[in-house]
Amino acid sequence: MLDIKSARKVFYKGLPDEKVALDGLTLSLKSGEFGVVIGSNGAGKSSMLNAISGALSLDSGQIIINGNDVTGTPVHKRAARLARVFQDPMKGTAASMTVAENMLLAELRGKKRALRPGLNASRLATYRERLSVLGLGLENRLDTKVELLSGGQRQSLSLIMAVGGSPDVLLLDEHTAALDPRTADIVMQATVRTVEALKLTTLMVTHNMQHAVDFGDSIIMLDAGRVHLEITGEGKRRITVPELIGHFAVKTDRMLLVS
Amino acid sequence: MDFIQTTVSSFVSLIPVTLAQSFILSFVVLGIMIPFRMLSFPDLTSEGAFPLGGCICGILLAAGVTPPLAIAAAFAIGLAAGCCTAFIHLRFRIHTLLAGILMSTMLYSINLGIMGKSNLSVFGAPTVFDWVPLTQPGFPVSKIIVAGIIALIVLIALNLYFKTEKGTAMRAVGANPDMAEAQGINVWAATIGGVGIASAFSAASGALMVQSQGFADVNMGIGILINGLAALMIGEAFTGKQTVLRQLLAPFVGSIIYYQLVSLCLAAGLPPSNLKLATGLFVLIMLALPSIRRSRGGAPSRETIRE
Repeated sequence: MLDIKSARKVFYKGLPDEKVALDGLTLSLKSGEFGVVIGSNGAGKSSMLNAISGALSLDSGQIIINGNDVTGTPVHKRAARLARVFQDPMKGTAASMTVAENMLLAELRGKKRALRPGLNASRLATYRERLSVLGLGLENRLDTKVELLSGGQRQSLSLIMAVGGSPDVLLLDEHTAALDPRTADIVMQATVRTVEALKLTTLMVTHNMQHAVDFGDSIIMLDAGRVHLEITGEGKRRITVPELIGHFAVKTDRMLLVS
Repeated sequence: MDFIQTTVSSFVSLIPVTLAQSFILSFVVLGIMIPFRMLSFPDLTSEGAFPLGGCICGILLAAGVTPPLAIAAAFAIGLAAGCCTAFIHLRFRIHTLLAGILMSTMLYSINLGIMGKSNLSVFGAPTVFDWVPLTQPGFPVSKIIVAGIIALIVLIALNLYFKTEKGTAMRAVGANPDMAEAQGINVWAATIGGVGIASAFSAASGALMVQSQGFADVNMGIGILINGLAALMIGEAFTGKQTVLRQLLAPFVGSIIYYQLVSLCLAAGLPPSNLKLATGLFVLIMLALPSIRRSRGGAPSRETIRE
């Protein structure tokens, strides 16, 4: 379960280019709920994800994961409950390390790291099995350095790394945006399968309206650092892409008036 | 013909002395390699940590402390110096290179303060090299054996460590700090620990050097960094960097080859005053090579040390 309570964050406070990134944002995701976040550039999507992961500290408000207030917890301590897949395939993996070593790092996320050998036969077998689900042949490339993989393979690896250990909250930050359409589709299908199988509480940011319509339990539209619109249940099932874009249009008109 | 003969004969006669020296100095190269390659933290602390270890070892030997204990003390205080450099970088967001320069500049005064004068003779004091049976004390063979055994132990221990869960996490911090943090790794702890251990090796090297040469000098660190960097480049050219073991072998292999090369240059009549210029040019060429190669084909990209 994830709760964001009136989160507020202002960049460049007191300066002429002051920017309100989050303006009392309040959002609640039930356990196992898959929320899709949309919104134009600068609406606060990335700030929200960074606030949840701990990379961005809030001016005021609270972040609560499974009933625990984590507002003041540093990134590496939140990692025990929280996993994230970034838009940039370079960001979510350690390029100069092997596939197996990256899997090891993810397996130990939030666990105590000991002075015992990291990779062993049983771990390698587990990694092989978990990677084979993707059908990309990564299970045979455990000793390959991640920098030699394609963007799609790296992103798929990031996904497998993120969902391992069933995090309390999974954050997907436009994780298919940098991929070609076919690979994006493979990664998206894998995402939906694992999120459903493991019943993960998930927040996915996307600019792809078709994805927003097709996937997830609810659509959360952000605007100016606030939840502008929340579409759930029957409404979510019936919404179409043109209708969704229509909601953007309203905002665009207002933006025109303001400017 | 005569020139070649005298060069070769003086070079050959220097091989054992140089080999002993290169084993002792290989720990500085290791102390440069660990932050640079394992943590992506180009660090200059060794320039101050090496004489720091030497000075501490010097006064302890003069005070009658046993040689291994003097090395252990140098190691511990070197560790503290490295931790300070890492902390300065992390806490105040000062560039790693600048943090290292600050630290080694301050260490110069500290070293002077520790010794109370600029050099200290400990000639005749017991050393760890006295332990080797069947050799005369002070003879290079005993130094080669002692320093070589320590190097081998350190190499094996580090190779094991960097494959443990903790060691893998430390390498992840160097490979991608954001990702490491998102995987629950404490970036501060890993950086401070790693840079600390590296400086500890540099200081231990200084301590061994003092026991080997019989005196400590506050200026013994001048130029040690550029020598170490040159040795590291040579070592990596031979061993490669593909695996942890190869990366760890590079300082030792590089140190052995580099100091033999220097000895060859000196034997061939290169004035010692030109040595630093030659070393500097060599390091420059080694660092520039990738970008020269790339600018022929594709776009030039950044070499990590310039970060």
